[in-house]
Amino acid sequence: MQNIVDVKNIEKIYGKANEKQFKALSDVNFEVQPGEFVGIMGASGSGKTTLLNILSTLDTPTRGQVKIAGEDITQLKNNEMADFRANQIGFIFQDFNLLENLTAYENIALPLALQNRSNKEIKPAVARISEKLGLTEILNHYPTELSGGQKQRVAAARALVHQPKIIFGDEPTGALDSKSARALMDTMTKINQEDNVSILLVTHDPFSASFCDRILFIKDGEIGQELKNESHSRGEFYQEILDSLGTFAE
Amino acid sequence: MLNKLAIGGIKHRIRDYSVLFSGLMIAAAIFYMFMSLAMNKDFLNSNSPAAATVFIFGFGAVLLAIITVVYINYANKFLLSMRQKEYGMFMMLGAKSSKISKMIFVETFIIGAIASVIGIILGIFATGFVGQLLMKNLDMPVKYFSSFYMPALITTLIFFIVIFIFSALRNSISLRMTKVLTLLNKDSQPTRIKRNTVWTVFQAIIGLIFIGIGYAAMIHMGSNPIFIYIGVPVALVTIVIGTYFVMNSLTTTIISALKKNGKFSQKGLNNFTLSQLNFRIKDYTKILSMVSIMFSLALGAITVGLGFYQQIDTVVNGQKYYDSQIININSKEKALVDKMSGASTNRYDYKTTDKTVYYRQSDFKSQPFTYSHFNMDSMFSTQKKSTSLNNDEVKYEIQSSMLPKNQTKEIKAVSDQEYNNIQGKANSITYVKTDSFRKNLTPIKQVSEEQQSRFPSMKNAIADKYVVYKNINGFFSGLEFMGFFLGIAFLAMLASCLMFKILSGAAGDVKRYNMLHKIGARQKALRASINKEIAVLFAVPATLGIVHVLVGLQMFKALLMKPYSNLALPFIIFFVLYGGYYFLTRHLYKKIVLK
Ligand SMILES: Nc1ncnc2c1ncn2[C@@H]1O[C@H](COP(=O)(O)OP(=O)(O)OP(=O)(O)O)[C@@H](O)[C@H]1O
Ligand SMILES: [Mg+2]
Repeated sequence: MQNIVDVKNIEKIYGKANEKQFKALSDVNFEVQPGEFVGIMGASGSGKTTLLNILSTLDTPTRGQVKIAGEDITQLKNNEMADFRANQIGFIFQDFNLLENLTAYENIALPLALQNRSNKEIKPAVARISEKLGLTEILNHYPTELSGGQKQRVAAARALVHQPKIIFGDEPTGALDSKSARALMDTMTKINQEDNVSILLVTHDPFSASFCDRILFIKDGEIGQELKNESHSRGEFYQEILDSLGTFAE
Repeated sequence: MLNKLAIGGIKHRIRDYSVLFSGLMIAAAIFYMFMSLAMNKDFLNSNSPAAATVFIFGFGAVLLAIITVVYINYANKFLLSMRQKEYGMFMMLGAKSSKISKMIFVETFIIGAIASVIGIILGIFATGFVGQLLMKNLDMPVKYFSSFYMPALITTLIFFIVIFIFSALRNSISLRMTKVLTLLNKDSQPTRIKRNTVWTVFQAIIGLIFIGIGYAAMIHMGSNPIFIYIGVPVALVTIVIGTYFVMNSLTTTIISALKKNGKFSQKGLNNFTLSQLNFRIKDYTKILSMVSIMFSLALGAITVGLGFYQQIDTVVNGQKYYDSQIININSKEKALVDKMSGASTNRYDYKTTDKTVYYRQSDFKSQPFTYSHFNMDSMFSTQKKSTSLNNDEVKYEIQSSMLPKNQTKEIKAVSDQEYNNIQGKANSITYVKTDSFRKNLTPIKQVSEEQQSRFPSMKNAIADKYVVYKNINGFFSGLEFMGFFLGIAFLAMLASCLMFKILSGAAGDVKRYNMLHKIGARQKALRASINKEIAVLFAVPATLGIVHVLVGLQMFKALLMKPYSNLALPFIIFFVLYGGYYFLTRHLYKKIVLK
């Protein structure tokens, strides 16, 4: 089966040729299979957000190739990039990034509206995903009227409503308390398993990471180590992650 | 250290600051421009026939002062919206609030002071430029007009310095009062539309009633000019209140209706655009109402001014039928007449004695004399032809075109035989009618001047059409000139107000547009959404304002013959200026919001 994400030799250098340059990523290679739940961990400044921005077409690599669902996204033009994000990708950000002037319903419906889907299609799609994430009761609320956990679930619903091939999350649990974080990770796992959506998750938090199938550790812009959850329990995997972090950090 | 940081902050946002700065400069320039006219009593009295002019300008000055205060308030909020996060950060890091408020005071005041001084200098040039433009292009002789007028300069400077001291105080106090946390998360909270239907309907009805009263007052004034001193304030107050209520109830109703219509709202960014409009709607109601009122005042001023001005030709043509008249035409004058397009001439011989001026009856038979008959009831003049001199109106016309020394004599038409027997010098007068007085103004003027140099006694007489034109033109030009100035000053001011109101919300929008960009909205869609949002904010007050103007013109029914006949030019001028502001606003907004 075709890989959902295929990253080959990417390199990212910040700063123009005549300015002070900084190499944030060097020679990164990896792939994500369909339905895989992959975590990316690493110290602050190691290049996680940079990598995610490149994968989600928000930024372009200096060198290298990124294929998502078989399409080389480094070759896309501006409009194609926007359409690509609208159709193929779902985002969940640390600070929720909900539009506070739209209700939860309207926020969730936004990606579909952007694709100019008809209202007839939008309604059932929003209803379906809201039910799945337990948001049905709060659809008419504005973001300021929601708790952090609820906001993040609305953000997740928005990321999922158009049934993207892959979801990117940049520390989605970063601003949540442990209970909400756990609820969100449970939801993500459920979606991952039931709908077979691939997920790529950047996180600092070993607990959140323990929900993943596989974890990539990134250090100074390079992938230094990989850890697979070989079908043992989450508790054990959590321990393993802590151990790896310990050794990896040294 | 903090000062250095603050200046660094300014450098970082140099573009936003240049928007603010140029806005304030424009405000000072406009204020000066207006004051240089409004305070110049010599100018007002010598250029306007109406005693009400000084009153109108005084009233205009007060209005402009109010708008300026509101304007600077918005500009100031724009400044604060740029700065509060940064200052909030400094405070969180432990900077004393007294120190911070001192800094914002100094910053506000310095920006204001520099902008005022440069603005006034700009205003002097702009006044000169606009003045020259109007005088040259519209053939407006205006007396006592000077672009540099000391009292206006001093007033403007003092007015702005005082406003900025208050603004600076306000900024520093508001920074001192607000909690650090609020400063840090200063993005405005959404206002949910509370769809209280009863209240909305009530507002709409009250609004319409108030506007109705105002309109009735204006229409009533049209036929009863005495009513003006009560009518103007009544109309102003009721229309202001009515506009506010209508704006408030109508905008919210339309937005909710559109939002409810899923077909429309769930398409692309429509829902987002509607929500953006909805988001700050309570804020905007006030400024939109104000803009629509000001818009109508400005547009009204220009329309009425132009109305007076364009009345010149009608009035002149009504006073005299013949475009030119020449006593004892010589070859030079003949050549000038030949230059006029579509010219036809009537030539009448006459002889003068001590008491009488004799004409040939046969001349009138062969060349009927056309004269203007003025109907007092309809206020229009009609043209009539006469083949004899036995008509008081014809006699009067002919008499008034003769040399002053002959004007008191009796005039008589006699047969050729009698005429030939009369002892006296034989003279002639030639009347010229062209296809357009305006088009042939240059040769007509030259003929008039030639006649005056040949017959110096004509200099003080209002003999020919050109002299009539010159007098009336001087008279109406003053009015028009003022109308233009009032109108342009108001328009520029209110459009800038709206611009700053919109721009001061831009900083908070950056995040929203950034997010939409991330989830895959095309740049084009984002731009379109911004264009639509700003277009609505500009169009709503314009529409209401136009209706106000159209009704408001009823006030001038008695003064202007056809108040509605000259709408095109002022409306075009207006839309070019207003449209310019719209494009500028959306350009600046996009520059702030999109990457
Ligand atoms: N636009 C930019 N210009 C220059 N350097 C940048 C830019 N963005 C990031 N960097 C640098 O690239 C490196 C990687 O940044 P990145 O944001 O990817 O880190 P991260 O792993 O996401 O860190 P964190 O866990 O703190 O979010 C950092 O050293 C950062 O300073
Ligand atoms: Mg990061």
